Amino acid sequence: MIALIARRLGSAAVAALLSALAVFLLMRAVPGDIVAQMLGQSGSDRSAEAALRGFFGLDRPVHVQFLDWLGRTLAGDLGASWYQGRRVTAMVAEAFGVTLELGLVTLLLATLLGVPLGMLAGIREGTRLDAAIQGFAMLGLSAPVFWVGLMLLVGSAAFLDWSPPFVYRDFSDDPADNIAILILPVLSLALLQAAAYAQFVRGLMVAELRREHIRTAVAKGLSPRAIYFKHALRNVLIPLTTFMGLILVQILGGVVVIESLFSLPGLGRLILSGLQGRDYPVVQGALLFVVLLAIGVNLLVDLLYAVIDPRLRR
Amino acid sequence: MSATLAGLLPAARRSPALMLSLLLLAGFAVLILAPGWVALQPPYAVDPARALQPPSAAHLFGTDDVGRDVFARLVHGARITLGLVAGALLLSAAIGGALGMIAGYAGGWFDLAAGRFADMILTFPPIIAGVVITGVLGQGAANLVLALAIVYLPTFFRIARSGAIAEASRTYVEAARALGFPGWSILLRQVAPNVLPLVVLQFVILFPLALQIEAALGFLGLGVAPPTPDWGAVLEQGKNFILVAWWLSFWPGLFLLASAVAVTVLGRALRARLGGD
Repeated sequence: MIALIARRLGSAAVAALLSALAVFLLMRAVPGDIVAQMLGQSGSDRSAEAALRGFFGLDRPVHVQFLDWLGRTLAGDLGASWYQGRRVTAMVAEAFGVTLELGLVTLLLATLLGVPLGMLAGIREGTRLDAAIQGFAMLGLSAPVFWVGLMLLVGSAAFLDWSPPFVYRDFSDDPADNIAILILPVLSLALLQAAAYAQFVRGLMVAELRREHIRTAVAKGLSPRAIYFKHALRNVLIPLTTFMGLILVQILGGVVVIESLFSLPGLGRLILSGLQGRDYPVVQGALLFVVLLAIGVNLLVDLLYAVIDPRLRR
Repeated sequence: MSATLAGLLPAARRSPALMLSLLLLAGFAVLILAPGWVALQPPYAVDPARALQPPSAAHLFGTDDVGRDVFARLVHGARITLGLVAGALLLSAAIGGALGMIAGYAGGWFDLAAGRFADMILTFPPIIAGVVITGVLGQGAANLVLALAIVYLPTFFRIARSGAIAEASRTYVEAARALGFPGWSILLRQVAPNVLPLVVLQFVILFPLALQIEAALGFLGLGVAPPTPDWGAVLEQGKNFILVAWWLSFWPGLFLLASAVAVTVLGRALRARLGGD
């Protein structure tokens, strides 16, 4: 078990380091840095340009810049935003709070909606109910998230005469406004992920119900409830843990578009605005955080999997 | 491979969903090949006097904020949106497939290095990788294609690699090696034809996912430059008028949804015929 953790941590660290390096190089390989943006098109003042590059440390060789950033990062310092002067760690933490709330509520709703739907479709395989649930799953998986969000916005305005507030408020600040703001983003993200769940769980359930221990249980005359919940669901739960990790990483990606649509100050918005302003410390810090988060979720799922299924502990 | 494709038509006769999907795809093919036949109005003609008109007989899907016909824009956009996604995936399949095949067949340091590179890309959630690449490189069709190609490179790499590993251990490959055929010849003549169907299937499976990301990037303003009628871009343009003119964003989303569903159904039918899970 410890060997497994060590091995996974090792390869995760290499992948994270490489991705940080890639982001670092990509941003510096493309013309147009913050100095170019500050001076605009004129760019005639050579001395001002050189002074600014020196101020931001952009005049140093790229490998020196990277090692400097890496050293500070390992010490827990992501630097300060070149635009706002605020600490990047504080900005990432603040944005993550928004994304985390959105992500967790979405995960909860998607699980509560998608897993029962998938089980029901699997149990009633081949019926109209199954076809309807599969149809829902297909539409949910194919519809662009931001389009669903926009249509929910139109629908609630036209039919319910309700629109969410457009200025983000923290939950501790104003709980009612906070919830009102999150309803539509959560719904649009959860619809997609519930569809993914339903489809996945249906497949597992169908395969599970064909296995011999289920046939034995049926022959023994066990009640359908005991068969579905005690015998089938238990085996379905194992692959479901892995899938939950996948869904969580997908939500993490999906929030970028949804945050932009609903003006939520989360991680996605932070990355987007950082990219637009060539605010290197913000982009590097926020992306590193997202990558580590995704790696962490995957690692956790693998470990959970090993705990549930002892065969994988080798 | 061709037998698989030929078998689709009889299969479609038994499955209404597949039949509908093939018809939809045929419809999109017409839009791509000859948009001028379908849309009688030009996609770029501005007419402020007719701005933001709801759907009518004259303008089937209504008009946008500068009076352009939304139907015409979407019809002409099919070539752009679907073409960009197909082109990006083709690029990704060619590079990722070739690298994966070589890595799987040859193994050694190349396999290790390429595998690390693939892992590095996979550490980013796909849409975030797309946002970073287009965000840094800027707007434009070429950058969009490049971003999508990079995002899906690891998937093609892995598929081709595992296919090549499976083929390399077959008796006929061993025989070819014993007969003294050079490595590149075995790779091209024996391994590649057997890996190709896996790559083609992956192309179809990834298409709806890549389409979602292409549209999302267009929606974030990171896709092709305006006034190109890319579906995601048209949708984004409608965002600002959503409460007064729902049709601006409704139709492009529906086009995206319909094409994604059609390709997904096709992908499942192909997978079932190729005997996958």
